Amino acid sequence: MSISLSPPSVPPVLLRFEQLGKTYDTPRGPYPVLENINLEVCRGEFICVIGHSGCGKSTLLNMVSGFATPSHGRVLLDGSPIERPGPDRMVVFQGYALLPWLTAYENVQLAVDSVKQDLTVHERHEIVKEHLELVGLTTAADKRITQISGGMKQRVAIARALAIRPEVLILDEPFGALDAITKEELQEELLKIWNTQKCTVLMITHDIDEALFLADRLVMMTNGPAAGIGEVLSIDFPRPRSREDLMEDPLYYELRNRALDFLYNRFAHDEDEKA
Amino acid sequence: MTTLVDVQDLEKNFPLSGGGHYLALKGIDLQIHQGEFISLIGHSGCGKSTLLNMIAGLDLPTAGAVLVDGETVKRPGPDKMVVFQNYSLLPWLTVQENIGLAVDEVMPDLSAAERDAVVQEHIQMVGLGHAGHKLPKELSGGMRQRVAIARALAIKPKLMLLDEPFGALDALTRGNLQEKLMQICNEHQLTAVMVTHDVDEAVLLSDRIVMLTNGPGSRIGGLLEVDIPRPRQRMTVVHHPSYYSLRSEIIYFLNRQKRVKQWQAKPHKVLARHGLEKVNLDIGFVPLAACAPLAIAEAKGFFRKHGLDEVHLVRETSWRGVTDGFLDRTLDAALMPSGMPTWMTAGGHGSEPLPILTPLTISRNGNEVTLARRLADAGVRTVDDYREWLRSHNREPHTLGIVHPASMHNLLLRYWLAASSIDPDQDVHLQTLPPAQMLADLKDGSIDGFCVGEPWNFRASREGHGIPIVGDLEIWNGHPGKVLGVREDWALAYPNTTIALTKALLEACQFCADPAHWTEMGELLSDRRYLGMKKELIHFSAAPGRTTEGGEFAPHGEPHHLFFGPGVNRPSRTEHLWIMTQLARWSEIPFPRNYVEILERICSVSVFSTAARELGLEDVSYQRGAIELFDGIPFAGEDPIGYLNAVSVHRDFSVAEIPLAPPRPLSA
Repeated sequence: MSISLSPPSVPPVLLRFEQLGKTYDTPRGPYPVLENINLEVCRGEFICVIGHSGCGKSTLLNMVSGFATPSHGRVLLDGSPIERPGPDRMVVFQGYALLPWLTAYENVQLAVDSVKQDLTVHERHEIVKEHLELVGLTTAADKRITQISGGMKQRVAIARALAIRPEVLILDEPFGALDAITKEELQEELLKIWNTQKCTVLMITHDIDEALFLADRLVMMTNGPAAGIGEVLSIDFPRPRSREDLMEDPLYYELRNRALDFLYNRFAHDEDEKA
Repeated sequence: MTTLVDVQDLEKNFPLSGGGHYLALKGIDLQIHQGEFISLIGHSGCGKSTLLNMIAGLDLPTAGAVLVDGETVKRPGPDKMVVFQNYSLLPWLTVQENIGLAVDEVMPDLSAAERDAVVQEHIQMVGLGHAGHKLPKELSGGMRQRVAIARALAIKPKLMLLDEPFGALDALTRGNLQEKLMQICNEHQLTAVMVTHDVDEAVLLSDRIVMLTNGPGSRIGGLLEVDIPRPRQRMTVVHHPSYYSLRSEIIYFLNRQKRVKQWQAKPHKVLARHGLEKVNLDIGFVPLAACAPLAIAEAKGFFRKHGLDEVHLVRETSWRGVTDGFLDRTLDAALMPSGMPTWMTAGGHGSEPLPILTPLTISRNGNEVTLARRLADAGVRTVDDYREWLRSHNREPHTLGIVHPASMHNLLLRYWLAASSIDPDQDVHLQTLPPAQMLADLKDGSIDGFCVGEPWNFRASREGHGIPIVGDLEIWNGHPGKVLGVREDWALAYPNTTIALTKALLEACQFCADPAHWTEMGELLSDRRYLGMKKELIHFSAAPGRTTEGGEFAPHGEPHHLFFGPGVNRPSRTEHLWIMTQLARWSEIPFPRNYVEILERICSVSVFSTAARELGLEDVSYQRGAIELFDGIPFAGEDPIGYLNAVSVHRDFSVAEIPLAPPRPLSA
């Protein structure tokens, strides 16, 4: 009798959410935002998180970036609990969070200079240049943030995040403010970059089609207070993906209907109930 | 239905700062009925907001006119309220003060108490009863837009105009507001026009969707009727068979606009070489097993061998893409359903007749009718069972999927149903759907079945969602499936290229007919450039009657493709005449009084004969006999009108002269 001891071909877990919860103190008493979050994210995975506003999606990712600390449980990165922000986890916000008085180049440079102090000026310059090129901004490198479009601003923010070579890229609804065509272009570029850099991505979105195009798994959140993970949808389309291929796959319609059902039926959200 | 808004031959020119003009809109005609909800959709810069502004009276047309209730719109007014994306609320006023301002202005004759009642009623209507005293800055974006909607409705406009009202909101908040708006529109019978670029929003809310082409000179490129009953709810809408079909039609339209723009941005030269007038060809196809000869001609170098150095295969997601590619000349040639040359030549696509000719039949057979598993589980195994089942379940909508009105799927399915006393228009509803979606619909129960080419029947059976009920072998063994089609003016401009293309594909057809090559073909087609699915799902088989091991699939004989052999590839006038009778029978086209002329122009037998002779394949070109379908009624083609009058499930069909311009080569 022989037992195969070869390791299973499962990629190692990079992030582990253990019994995670977050409660805010309010004048009316404690308000539980999130409760009992358990999730494992493998190295190199692309995860999208979807849920109605107020479901604690941003709070959840803030505990990965280290901007917020858990009230219960913990988030482990490579086995160590996350306690503070760090350059191994970079965040891209919907509002870009760029310095408007600097150029595109200078915005990226600022991040590289503060994190990669051990490199030479030339090496740092190469990194900035390489990442601006990656997002197609070589010709616009010397433009001020105020002079460029929303799509280009978000490209700068992505270049800045990636230039630090983070292990985890956190995107908080990055394309929510962009028009449909620019949004599609940026989604395609993001996938290309993710493919070359092999980073792990956590992305908040409100857009089911965006999640189906990008993610390996879609984490669907229930409504707050005390929101949790309602269902995790595996999105097994082959990669590289194209929108046309997805539309021709019966699985696309199945997954889409399942997510719609979750969000508009099982966990529908009515603004009227609030306040 | 009374017409509330009448847009007549509208044109809008904007003067440019450097002199000259920009033509934004041209030739816009649109009638909007009382109580209708219309969406305007198109890419940025297509002039959809410009059109809305002219209906609102915020801008005036350069030519043509907009009439509301019979009067020309000259200025904005309270009868036409606009809701903007940015809400446009006064930030220093509360919710009720914002609404009150509008009510006081427009309804000065009411008493203060009456005006206040109007304000309160509309605050309640949008579900903001708890927020009347709040300032806009204390509200979320979704709530602010509710205030703007309440303000617009409070003054009882005849017409509500919405310019991307939910564009600034996240997708899920947008969803909630859409439902609220839909509910209000229903309860108050509002007439509304909404600009949007959100496809789902347009389908959910609209009675009709106006699709605008790209500027300059944008026009109405398509008008879709949303036949989903009201009141609507998002989840029931999503499961309605029309939903994904409308959605994919709009996405198709928008992608097409994008593609045409990209195509126009590139130079397109005609490259002549090797004695051929054009060697750079864009050839369209739809991913089905029958596209094998095109893929093989590319992979095995048959195009190149015959001098066609730069052939590019263009994968279309639907046959509609092929039709449009011929209309706007972005395609040189295409694999098409065998009914499409007749259909387009007779103007079945809804515009000017466009003569299309076919020099080659590429495949025969390969189709099957599949019924949903749930029907089989309920005991439906034959067409007679299905008829009984339809009679005993007559309250449900019974939808069957087809891929195109001019496809053999549609014609054979209709023929088969009609011959079995099922009226294909009254007892069931035939809906054009993309194949992938048919499978999804079959699975979730929104359709009863479909008639489609391989590999979709095999796939439905393999994945357990459907059971094949009848194969085309049993309806008409050897019917023409797909043909090579080109525009007549294209063929006249490039005669030697037409022959070379026919030769390359005829040789590829011969290759595809050899069983020794079927494994290789399945592997090739599984590539994402072609079908993009597992190779186990794509298979070619030998003979009728052979049943796959396990016996589950094709108890009626596999829908094997015929790619080559005696009488297989030569275009047949009798067959195209039969197709013509069927298209007329089901009112896709009138029966052409000049059908002899049309057949002459469609069937390019001479090109086929030249190609076959030059390849040394004279023996493949013999004449096929009279057509006989499963019901034993022969069709020899001597008396097509008599034949049409004798068919069961008889309809009144029209006979008309199809005016075709004399054959003329394409001018560069």
